[in-house]
Amino acid sequence: MVKPAVLFTMAVILCGNVSLCIAEMDHQAHGMSMNMNSDGMVMNTNHHELPWGCESISEDYEFSVRAGRDYAKDNPGMVFGMNQHEYNVAPCSRITVTFSNEDEVRHQWMVHGLPSYLYPTGMFHLEAMAGKSVTGTFIVPGDHKTYLVHCDMAQHMEKGMKGQLKVGRGSGDLWNIAKVSGTYRRADYLPEFTFWIMALLGVVIFLLVLYIVRRTNRLK
Amino acid sequence: MKGLSLMVLALFVALISFPPTWYPVALKVQLSLWFGASEYRALPQSVPGGQIDSEVFCPPDLLNWRDSQVIEGVTIAESLPCIADNPFMVAAFVKGTNNISHQTLMQSGLTPDAIEKGEDLDGDGDPDVIHIRLELVELNGASGESDQPVTQYEIAPGIKPGLWVFAPKLAGMARENFESKKARSSLRVPSPVIRIEAGDQVKITLENTHYMPHTLHLHGSDHGFVDADGQGNDGVPLTSELPVMPGNARTYELTPREAGTMFYHCHVQPHVHVTMGLQGMFIVEENRPNNWLQTMNVGAGLVRVPSVAVKEDYTQEYDLHYTDLDKQLSERIQDSNDPRLVTRSMHREYDVTDATADYFLLNGKSFPYTFRESIVVVEEDENVKLRVLNGGTKGIALHTHGHKFTVTHQDGVPLYGNAQVVRDVLWLATAQRADLALSTVDDGLHSYGSGIWLFHDHQNRGITTDGIGPGGNISAVVYKNYLNEAGWPKTQGVSFKPFFTEKYYQKEIPVWQSYAPELFSDVARDWLLFARLIILSLSLGVFFALLVSKIKYRGKPSEKTP
Repeated sequence: MVKPAVLFTMAVILCGNVSLCIAEMDHQAHGMSMNMNSDGMVMNTNHHELPWGCESISEDYEFSVRAGRDYAKDNPGMVFGMNQHEYNVAPCSRITVTFSNEDEVRHQWMVHGLPSYLYPTGMFHLEAMAGKSVTGTFIVPGDHKTYLVHCDMAQHMEKGMKGQLKVGRGSGDLWNIAKVSGTYRRADYLPEFTFWIMALLGVVIFLLVLYIVRRTNRLK
Repeated sequence: MKGLSLMVLALFVALISFPPTWYPVALKVQLSLWFGASEYRALPQSVPGGQIDSEVFCPPDLLNWRDSQVIEGVTIAESLPCIADNPFMVAAFVKGTNNISHQTLMQSGLTPDAIEKGEDLDGDGDPDVIHIRLELVELNGASGESDQPVTQYEIAPGIKPGLWVFAPKLAGMARENFESKKARSSLRVPSPVIRIEAGDQVKITLENTHYMPHTLHLHGSDHGFVDADGQGNDGVPLTSELPVMPGNARTYELTPREAGTMFYHCHVQPHVHVTMGLQGMFIVEENRPNNWLQTMNVGAGLVRVPSVAVKEDYTQEYDLHYTDLDKQLSERIQDSNDPRLVTRSMHREYDVTDATADYFLLNGKSFPYTFRESIVVVEEDENVKLRVLNGGTKGIALHTHGHKFTVTHQDGVPLYGNAQVVRDVLWLATAQRADLALSTVDDGLHSYGSGIWLFHDHQNRGITTDGIGPGGNISAVVYKNYLNEAGWPKTQGVSFKPFFTEKYYQKEIPVWQSYAPELFSDVARDWLLFARLIILSLSLGVFFALLVSKIKYRGKPSEKTP
């Protein structure tokens, strides 16, 4: 565990937009916790503090998440992935995630949008170094909401490491969750000359119909 | 009969609506002989320029990163330009991320294994076993959810070309915060300058965090073709090894015997990958006792902890990395989020033999951003070392105003005697390096005294951003008495306000608007002429329609004929 003053400076350094960060950190610095070692990093772990509106912990969940390039093999067009991209939990439940990185590079499992009075910057963050595992725990609020889970390394979310945490009924599906929801920005994947073929077929069918109509009229 | 008169009328209207300014010259001359000049009609009015809404030139240094300071026993020199490197990161690079307090490590933003420094093999008071880790980062890449690029990095106001870089190994998010799409400040162009000492046993692990295969090629540095285990060590897929796949890592090894300014780059499809930004300066410093080197210089520019050998001869040291970029290449990574389509587009559909460079960068930025961080700040009677790399696809004709520099090394090899030429323009072909000594002794040869003296590629394209000037790699040698407290040069010329807007580089602001709006602003449209031409087109349309129908039904019996 590290002193709040250092966390404050560090959070400011991690932020490029200094003034925004200072404003944000001002009322949040007190709660931030961060553990970093050679295995990786766990940020804002929370075993006991209940979110507002929760009277007790409703349930305990444990997820063992494995991540790496192998988990994108059955997801065409993606390069990185996780063994599980959707997580369903009850409101006010406690979630323990063990995040195992099977690649030779860093990966992350981060949840965003959590209440900032418990999780500074609204974030629960696990980061595992190559071949390492890290474990962290957090408690979700009582409302039905879908939270973004992802790896925030450049292009890792875009290329497959995106998931969703549904608390209760959730608040709908996020886009681009592997095998759960659709691709928002989907390329066309058409064969060559598709538009020429369309135009040609259009003309052919137009002439054909014209011919049939004239023939039918003549027969009458 | 009715049709014929209508035709004549249409032709008449067409003739009188045809603008006299478009008449053939001979006709115009004849008409003016007969009738003299036409009556006065004022040219269209000038359009007053709107309010210029510019960015802050020089962002305030809230964390006092510009100041001289001592961190972990490392004396970090002050950095006077507006934007300075994170001094905690500089200290971590000097001591090694394994030899600093947890607090400094956290404040550096680096992972514990980013730069590991070990044994002092020659017993001269500095570490000689160095392990550097590099990751790969895509800036301004595609998003699966929006047409806006992600992990954004601006080279100039509003300009976000797709780029790839080698990056120091940083803990945490790639963005500055969850609400932002901007890359955090240490993820930037150019790839970091790497500094090692001659004789060091160096390992560089390339951790391929990108979605394409890459390698590391140590251009010009003394390294074996294979490592101790017989594994490929040259980074060239054609000859030495398979590329490092996404999610995989490979360690390269070298113990360089010769010092010099070298180069590193990816060697996978290099005609594309090097231009995309996978290139950096690789500097081997001379071996000296107690030589604690700043192993990386993020964003190049001022070296805040110079080597012992450099300090023997010079007062300051700057790394200057020139590159160029073809926007028709860089936008290809933004067109699709499917790596297979991007790969096809970049490596098969893009034809480098038809390429043109559009952006010209010095240390990852184009003017005016170069003025925030890549100016060379000097006092009189200094001797400043400039290490220059041209990593671009075109040559550069590097020119300094107010100074003639001495070329001391080329391609990392020292020059002796008369070979050390004194110049104010130096040609650097692609991949060439030069070490320059910039003397600020006001002797009429090496320096003409204090001032704000530009330095730039003297080829015209190099001082533009996609053809708009001033832009490109323009920067300046600024004497301290011409620099304000915040680190901004006290220029006496035109306002910089237009240059700090997106609109200027989108070609929407007249170039002299800030000081001569009444003379050279945009011009109002001639709506009268426009209306006349509309009438011309309509009357010609009517005329030809009637003409065609006349020809078509010529000779055919009229319905009225019995």
